[in-house]
Amino acid sequence: MHATYRGKRMAQPTQSKATRRSFLKLAAAGAAGVAAGPWVSRNAQAKPVSITFARESSYVKNFDVHFQNVMAPAYEKATGIKIEYQIQAAGGSAVPQLVSMVENKSGADLAWVQQEWLYRDALVDVSDIAEEVGKQQGGWYDEIKLLSVDKGKWKSVPNGNIGQVMVYRKDWFDEAGVKSFPETWDAFLEAGIKLKAKGHPFGMSMGHGFADNYSWLYPLLWSYGVTVMDKTAKKVALDSSETAKAVEYVKRLYKEACIEDCIGWLDPANNKAFLTSQISCTNNAYSIMVSAKRDLPDMGKVIAHGLNPKGPNGQRYHALVPVTHGVFAHSKDPQAAKDFLRWMMDPKQYRPWIASGDMYFAPYLHGFDKAPEWDIEPRVKPFQKALETGKLTSWPAPANRQHGEVVNRWIVIDMFTKACTGTPVKAAIAEAVKQLKTIYG
Amino acid sequence: MVGELTWRRRLFGLWLPLLVFVVIALFPFTWMAATSLKTNAELYNPKANPMWIQNPSLVHYIDLLKETNFLTWVANTMLVATVATFISLLLGSMLAYPLARMRFRGAPLLAIAVAVTYLIPQTLLFVPMADLIGRMKLGNTLSAVMLTYPTLLVPFIAWLLMGYFKTVPKELEEQAMIDGASRWRAMTRIILPLCLPGFLSAGIFAFTLSQNEFLYALLFLSKSSVRTVPIGVVGELIRGDAFYWGQLMAGALLGSIPVALIYSFFVKYYVAGLTAGAVKG
Amino acid sequence: MSKILEASRAGALAAPARRPFRIRAFLERESVFSWLMVTPPVLFLLAFLGYPFFYGVYLSFFEREVARPATFVGLGNFVTLSNDPIFWQAVRNTLLFTAVATVLKAGGGLAMALVMNQSFRMKAVTRAMLLLPFIVPTVLSTVAWQWILDPGMGLFNRLLVVSGLATTGPSWLGTPTMAMISIIMVNTWRGLPFFGISILAGLQTIPVDLHESATIDGAGTWGRFRYVTLPSLLPVIFIVTTFSIVITFFDFQLVYVLTGGGPANSTHLMATYAYSLSMGAGQMGLGSAVALSMVPVLGLLLVLLTLYVRKD
Repeated sequence: MHATYRGKRMAQPTQSKATRRSFLKLAAAGAAGVAAGPWVSRNAQAKPVSITFARESSYVKNFDVHFQNVMAPAYEKATGIKIEYQIQAAGGSAVPQLVSMVENKSGADLAWVQQEWLYRDALVDVSDIAEEVGKQQGGWYDEIKLLSVDKGKWKSVPNGNIGQVMVYRKDWFDEAGVKSFPETWDAFLEAGIKLKAKGHPFGMSMGHGFADNYSWLYPLLWSYGVTVMDKTAKKVALDSSETAKAVEYVKRLYKEACIEDCIGWLDPANNKAFLTSQISCTNNAYSIMVSAKRDLPDMGKVIAHGLNPKGPNGQRYHALVPVTHGVFAHSKDPQAAKDFLRWMMDPKQYRPWIASGDMYFAPYLHGFDKAPEWDIEPRVKPFQKALETGKLTSWPAPANRQHGEVVNRWIVIDMFTKACTGTPVKAAIAEAVKQLKTIYG
Repeated sequence: MVGELTWRRRLFGLWLPLLVFVVIALFPFTWMAATSLKTNAELYNPKANPMWIQNPSLVHYIDLLKETNFLTWVANTMLVATVATFISLLLGSMLAYPLARMRFRGAPLLAIAVAVTYLIPQTLLFVPMADLIGRMKLGNTLSAVMLTYPTLLVPFIAWLLMGYFKTVPKELEEQAMIDGASRWRAMTRIILPLCLPGFLSAGIFAFTLSQNEFLYALLFLSKSSVRTVPIGVVGELIRGDAFYWGQLMAGALLGSIPVALIYSFFVKYYVAGLTAGAVKG
Repeated sequence: MSKILEASRAGALAAPARRPFRIRAFLERESVFSWLMVTPPVLFLLAFLGYPFFYGVYLSFFEREVARPATFVGLGNFVTLSNDPIFWQAVRNTLLFTAVATVLKAGGGLAMALVMNQSFRMKAVTRAMLLLPFIVPTVLSTVAWQWILDPGMGLFNRLLVVSGLATTGPSWLGTPTMAMISIIMVNTWRGLPFFGISILAGLQTIPVDLHESATIDGAGTWGRFRYVTLPSLLPVIFIVTTFSIVITFFDFQLVYVLTGGGPANSTHLMATYAYSLSMGAGQMGLGSAVALSMVPVLGLLLVLLTLYVRKD
């Protein structure tokens, strides 16, 4: 199989019932077998010496280690091209670095393109790769196409969704008599009041962060039947009486169930508060559980993940935090970068890679819906549900530059925080609506 | 006068206030040091004393040195700061010397221009600067920041040195020239050596600002091997929303040691330099 | 002084007495020599500061998104800003932050200098220690402050609880007012040594006989301070203050790491807002407009300060 390896003829690995162990073995063998693959001949003529790949540094150490120790050497062995793996801090400082790379046309050849609407014009068309990967691995989730597909062309290949769910202390919830994670926002508030009375408040981030604030406030808003903009992004949809109800709810939740500090929290703050046993629940990615399992084994056992509760409209939502990979047009050899991207997304490389991160990166591919990798850490399974019920924060409007402005000026987040710090609910909403009109106007 | 300094006066006029200032300045460092020596389990323990270490451990220091390019970052920072300081001193003194000691057409305008340049916010410059660096193909090289830091520093340095150059009496130079020395010779052999403390103070000031700089380094240095300390630690010890607190603090302490050493060595000159610049400038 | 003069003469005499060329005489002219000296730095600044500056100003009249050509919008960006409540809040925050932090640093720095201006053992070491906050990279010291200001684990609240002053301490970054107080506090902590050391240097240049004659004229401690020390220090304080105003006004790292401008924009400064617009939202033109509008505000602040000092 190795010698005749060809991307297109790959067996559908998603349907295989292979256990993880045998799968990893297979993958390692596959990586080694690449030497005979089609890349060698192609790159014999072009021969870039190295490809620079910029990506978020991962809090799951194994994930970066796997890339650096297994994947990069395998690719170099197969093609002679060295992979320069550049890791960046997430959030506030990755986007400026990417913007700077685009503006001064240097730096990485391909990268995780955070807020890719900012530089779609600087990315090459990767439709061929995306379509091939989709066909091979069960098809893409529709939701991600709103981000990666621009004017009918794929500008990036989705790599995975960083699952953002409720992280809570099972032991404290049990103690307070909350036996299962609340199914509705109202029940969530009730539970919060009980837990706060026991000295274990919730800590829901509402500051100028980059993920942990959106990941619950937007889904909450949606489950009240409200979206920020309408589908065409022409009309502000936030201006609704349901919004007022959602804001009132957050106000109550903040006052009655949360730690006071959380209103100003940036993304690391809830990790710190959770790990220091100051809060019993927050909305976060896998990082809290990872740190706890590593540093605080006792806490590691009693942490659980829960889904965002359902709202008055009976629906449950999650916010997608996508990581997509794009190839810069300024790259000296975009084709070589594309070849690498294709290789990276090949199940032989891709599956063990995401498995090395315990699936905290959920692939946007339906082929993984029932994948055996989800059993590596059963507590990450909610990430799969989060993907199924996930929407982009721009939803239902397209993820474009205007949306980026709304996000980076924290318009919707601050609507909630203002109401929590004394601004009348109506005024807070009116202010946000006015800003949205200016931005989309 | 000395007789007035009773122990009471000494206590309330010197030791107590001094203690307050030292405590204010240092308590964050003691916290940093404690954190860098604690295991994460202890750091996160809500019952543990934040200023006390139960099980001191060097694990964060070892990880920092083993798993990151920390030493490279320190070396980069020192190299960049040294070169940027040198360029800034050279250009700054070339600007300051004539402005402080000579009359020439355009001098007042130039002096105003220099004063205004330090009002230019860095945030206005970063887009064009990225463009400039891109055109010169300097992205991801240390030269990018070696060239851009002096733009932040030269106006400050020129201003600081001007004060210094003014303190040297004009007769010195005139006398030398009467005796046949050229202007150049008078400057390099007589005036500049007298201003050595000024150069030291300006140099240390420039060095501090360069090693602390964040924005340009963030934009121009994305490769780990060319990063400076602030960018390196942020890029690799802040992973997603998980901070490697112990390693960050170990890095903060280790990264400041070289500079702290320089400071304690030169602090006398530094103080003298600032005064001359301030009083006469 | 005379020694130096002699030395200089000796040095000059050692130079070979050559008959001057015409060109040399030309070079010796004050204006020629000056311009030859200033040309390289001026060219450098024009290229690396002038060009980006004017380009930045130019950008502020355009709508310029990342990786896209710019379209001219005239004063459009400034009109947008003038209708933008966040911008005005950032202006107010910046002024408040700069003013309070500068006053605290100047006052505290003066006190620090007066205390340090006495003779005691270990003075050099103490001085170096007091400078530490100014040395450590801001990003890193601010990371430490995230913990110091932590509601439950932080040093401040631990002290308050242990000393029995409060059952739970305040939320240092969790209310708009406290967040502003906190960033001012951290900025003051970092900038205080710069003032202290500079003013100390100024103190040491005040001639002792001034104090002595004031004492003979019957001035007490306060009188000596008010009529001798303070007036002599004014130039130092003035210049260090302008220096500090500029640096405080542009402060970015501190807020960026500690609050990101939140909660509800209560700590958003012009520098952080410009950053989130250009770098976060990719609105280069709008970001440049915010940055550019910092220049007149800062200029105004400095002019006011100058006038105030003159009046005094």
